[in-house]
Amino acid sequence: MAPKSLIAVLAAAGLMLAPLPLAAAEKLKVIASFSIIGDMARRVGGERIDLRVLVGPNGDAHVYEPRPSDAMAMAAADVVLVNGLKLEGFLGRLIKASGAEAPVIELTRNASIIRDPEGGHYHHYEGRSVFHEAPFDPHAWQSLANAQVYVANIADAFCEADAAGCETYKSNAAAYREELAALDGDIRQAMAAIPEERRLAVVAHNAFRYFERDYGVRFLAPTGVSTDSEASAADVAGVLRDMREKRAVAVFTENIADSRLVARIAADAGLTLAGTLYSDALSGPDGPAPSYIDMMRHNLRTITRALAPD
Amino acid sequence: MKKLMLSASAAALAMGIAGTGAFAHDDEVTAWRLFVSDHAAPTVRVIDAVEGRELDNFSIKGPASLYRSESGETVFAVQGSAGAISAISSGIAFHDHGDHGDIEVEDAKLLDVELTGTKPAHFVERQGKVAQWFDGEDKARFFSEHDVLKGKPEPVTVSVVAPHHGVAVPYDNHVVVTIPNPEDASKRPIGARVMGHDGKQVGDDVACPGLHGSAGSGSLYALACSTGLLLISQTGDVPEIRHLAYSPSLPEGSSSALIGGKGLQYFIGNYGADRIVLIDPSQEESFRLVQLPTRRVHFVVDPVRANFAYVVTEDGQLHQVDVVKGEISKSLKLTQPYSMDGHWSDPRPRVAVAGDKIVVTDPLNSKLHLVNAESFEKSGEVAVEGKPFNLVAVGGSGKVHDDN
Repeated sequence: MAPKSLIAVLAAAGLMLAPLPLAAAEKLKVIASFSIIGDMARRVGGERIDLRVLVGPNGDAHVYEPRPSDAMAMAAADVVLVNGLKLEGFLGRLIKASGAEAPVIELTRNASIIRDPEGGHYHHYEGRSVFHEAPFDPHAWQSLANAQVYVANIADAFCEADAAGCETYKSNAAAYREELAALDGDIRQAMAAIPEERRLAVVAHNAFRYFERDYGVRFLAPTGVSTDSEASAADVAGVLRDMREKRAVAVFTENIADSRLVARIAADAGLTLAGTLYSDALSGPDGPAPSYIDMMRHNLRTITRALAPD
Repeated sequence: MKKLMLSASAAALAMGIAGTGAFAHDDEVTAWRLFVSDHAAPTVRVIDAVEGRELDNFSIKGPASLYRSESGETVFAVQGSAGAISAISSGIAFHDHGDHGDIEVEDAKLLDVELTGTKPAHFVERQGKVAQWFDGEDKARFFSEHDVLKGKPEPVTVSVVAPHHGVAVPYDNHVVVTIPNPEDASKRPIGARVMGHDGKQVGDDVACPGLHGSAGSGSLYALACSTGLLLISQTGDVPEIRHLAYSPSLPEGSSSALIGGKGLQYFIGNYGADRIVLIDPSQEESFRLVQLPTRRVHFVVDPVRANFAYVVTEDGQLHQVDVVKGEISKSLKLTQPYSMDGHWSDPRPRVAVAGDKIVVTDPLNSKLHLVNAESFEKSGEVAVEGKPFNLVAVGGSGKVHDDN
């Protein structure tokens, strides 16, 4: 089943209208829901866009609480770029509060999307069971192949809103996608060099399923696909059991998640923390992951350093 | 399903919206309940907000101020004059499953839980943790909603130095409490501090003289005082407090009553008798004043339509305030004038939002006014015996899984 498109929902609700033509000298007003999308938009839009990122560096889009000023900016936007797949839980109410008329572009459209394999659940009623399938995993940017789809969607959205700049957007996107494809190859090569039995690590929340699917490293996590939930004692016990049985090699903190729980897990498992992965947000400009490419390269370095044999 | 049918309004059942991948039949159910206390009588009435009929009437010890928990599962009745706090199970619970939420509807019931103490006053609940303040005691009490629902609250107490009219805010292993005025504890507090559950202070006192009024908005909690707001946040183990000073561009004044935005992160405070101030702490210019036509009686935020808050003024009007635009967007005459002259606790209207209805109590006319929140037009009335005063709304929509 294809993921339910936010665009379709918004269109059905009458929240999407055709973009208005852009005045020649005016920059395209772009809203990006969080820092990773913001960086991609900057690469594609360059000087032609005026960009506002709602959830900034090290911010957590799962639990972000929008401000009235976000609604004001949303109301004035020409294009709104979002991830979709319920990453931005705040989006619906922000769009409604702002009265925004700009097209809302879900960048995971046409990407290769997976469901959270541990997210399905049963309801038990009077002797019968009802199964609800897992939600879609929103962290699609952890796959470089998907990131290229994001970039193509951004270029299409900018072309639609600003036809005069379309050549620039297409050209920027093509150059950027080449860099992303090269990085994809680098990650595959680096991961292939890690012995299979060492490709198991622990993170705070399930943000790396796409990385796992594309590059063959498995991640255990006490918390699900959203940081909005809290791990139970059983969740932690399950992770510790899996770590022992499957011999996890490393425990990582995440820049957007509380490190206390994984620190405790690492201590219980007799491991030291192996570094910080950037899962759902970039770092600030002085950090190790100020851009999406920097982020993926930083994560690659951190993972390979921890998993490589001594 | 049997539980549901005990009290869910039949009109609230909308059949046939299947959940993602669900194999059996799912119903989408909407249920909203109003809990209404009386200005003079020791009672809390439960009213089905969908059908407008009374479901229950609980006797308590004294007239109560009502507070609902974030989860909506519990309503607390703080009876200042009777020195007691009662807890009511709302009968409506939600279970989040990520891609959908389930609703469970049972009868509301008065729980066999009662806290007693000297002058119970400010009540704060966040993330299932409750802080109950007693103006006449030198300790605040902290307990969990979970334990209350089990009928066994086991309060932890933390010293507040001396009895005073203050407030406490609960966190995981810490609390924020106000600091009494050292010269005269009957005056307003002079600031706030972080205390551990072990009774030890963490960090320094944070000054905020004339402190009164508190509210939460998302992850932020705010305390108002004469110099600005104390903003409390928590990113690690220990909550952190910072002071946000009033803008120099504001006229002389301060807030002493706060409410916090739902869906958008902001606060609204009173600012003098006939003005409110919209506060967005993330902005360089955090404060925007909104002039009211007459003095403010009560205000609430709309938890569903995140850009709206509602203010009742003493001329009997209900105002819709657009917090994004910073202006009154609509006004509606609802009640006779309720003058703000007289005692602060005289019976006057209170407001709550129940889904698509704004509900305003009219204590001197023994009724609730219902206003359609989308059209902002009056949609009905509900007669309520006595002087309906404080109210809270609990409810929402969710799925119920049926095996038919």
